[in-house]
Amino acid sequence: MISLRGVTLTYPNGVRALDDVDLEVAKGSFVFLVGHSGTGKSTLLKLLYREMRPTSGEVTVDNIRVDRLRRSKVPALRRNIGVVFQDFKLLSHKTVWENVAFALQVTGANTKDVKRQVPRSLDLVGLSHKSRMLPSELSGGEQQRAAIARALVNNPKILLCDEPTGNLDPSNTTEIMELLQRINLKGTTVLVATHNAAVVDRMRRRVVRLEDGRVLHDDERGYYFRGLGQTQVLSG
Amino acid sequence: MDWGKLKFFLGEVGSNFTRNAAMQLTAIGTVAVTVVLLGAFLYVRDTLASFGTGMLSKIEVAVYLNDDVDDARARTIAVRFAQDRRIWGATYVPKRDGLRRMKSVLGKDFDTSLLTANPFPNAFHVRVRRPGDVPAVAASIAKYPGVAKTDYAADTVTKLLRIADLLGRVGLIMIGLLVVTAAIIIANTIRLTVFARRREIAIMQLVGATNMYIRMPFIAEGLLAGLLGAGLALGILYIARLELVPKLAATIAFVPFHANEPLLAGECLAVGATVGFVASWFSVGRYLRV
Repeated sequence: MISLRGVTLTYPNGVRALDDVDLEVAKGSFVFLVGHSGTGKSTLLKLLYREMRPTSGEVTVDNIRVDRLRRSKVPALRRNIGVVFQDFKLLSHKTVWENVAFALQVTGANTKDVKRQVPRSLDLVGLSHKSRMLPSELSGGEQQRAAIARALVNNPKILLCDEPTGNLDPSNTTEIMELLQRINLKGTTVLVATHNAAVVDRMRRRVVRLEDGRVLHDDERGYYFRGLGQTQVLSG
Repeated sequence: MDWGKLKFFLGEVGSNFTRNAAMQLTAIGTVAVTVVLLGAFLYVRDTLASFGTGMLSKIEVAVYLNDDVDDARARTIAVRFAQDRRIWGATYVPKRDGLRRMKSVLGKDFDTSLLTANPFPNAFHVRVRRPGDVPAVAASIAKYPGVAKTDYAADTVTKLLRIADLLGRVGLIMIGLLVVTAAIIIANTIRLTVFARRREIAIMQLVGATNMYIRMPFIAEGLLAGLLGAGLALGILYIARLELVPKLAATIAFVPFHANEPLLAGECLAVGATVGFVASWFSVGRYLRV
């Protein structure tokens, strides 16, 4: 589903954000990208939805060579990828329903599809009862669920989450991670960039650790710190 | 037709439009001022053009024949007139008629008692099909054997028209500058809207809206500002036409105040719409970076 081969990204100022990264993500998998701030997690996600292009190397998403993709083809790529951010990126003057519908409306969906898919998406994230509320009337966790509903309303094959629990308390964090797991069980490939060790250790999914723009290790059912659970690190 | 889609699109345009109300009003006002000046200019130009053309069409070329040319030879010259396609018609004015005409025009002021002979030559009054041909026709007739000289009064009118044309050009340059100003103001308004809506634009790009779809509301916004400005200007022009033109027509009776008004209104709307469309197209292209 996702493939990066020899991907390097160097900024104009000479800083190397990613350095010869190889990564394969199978369809329907759930992957954590972990590492300190500035290790290239967000940059890697940006390459996947063509917010950025690599300096060298190949980026393939759903059999599309994203690094070579023409600008005019980017919208079609993005309709297959849902993206969720730490700051939710909801429109404050629109209700939850309108925020979710917005993603469909601006891609030219007809009214029938909007009326069918928005309630389905809101139902999936458990926000149907708050669809008429404005983002400011919701808790942080609810706002993130609204953002996830918007990311999913187009039925994307891939969901990219950039620090989705960065602004949330532990209880809301758990809710969001459970939701992401449910979405993954329905067949969506999920990539989560995080530095929340507790979440990673609790879920025991594939963990790819980035360090200074390189893949330091890549473990199936891994921990945030290789070989050690969060508890062990704290106690040891 | 999907009304929901249309409603959403119009909602987007509306929210763009109301976001910078003050700037939007400035843009509309500038377009309105520009179009009012343009409309007034076009009206005056049409009036002057029809006035000038009317005058020119009445101009005759006076062809004076040599004294030795009798009626029979004059007839051969008339035949040559008939062969010239530029000439619409000619009237022969024998010398006796010339004298009679002068008497009838001047009446008692014309004292013939001093005349020992008729001073008038035999002459033709030639009318041409196109006013612009008058100088050329006069020049070619002057070369006919038996023709003493040709004369026409077009010089004054041509000079007048030339001055009107010059004034028209200066006016057009000024209106051109105003159009550019209006375009810059609209472009800046769009730029502010793009800035105000940058979050929405970022989300649109993120969820896969096409560049054209993102641009459309902004271009519609510019188009709307241009059309509203032009519409306002047409309203002002309409009132001015109702109030001013009858008064002017009464004061300057010999000028026929006239213009093709529906065409003129169409031109004004087209200018407003074009300014709005072009300015927003470039502005969106430059500041949206999609």
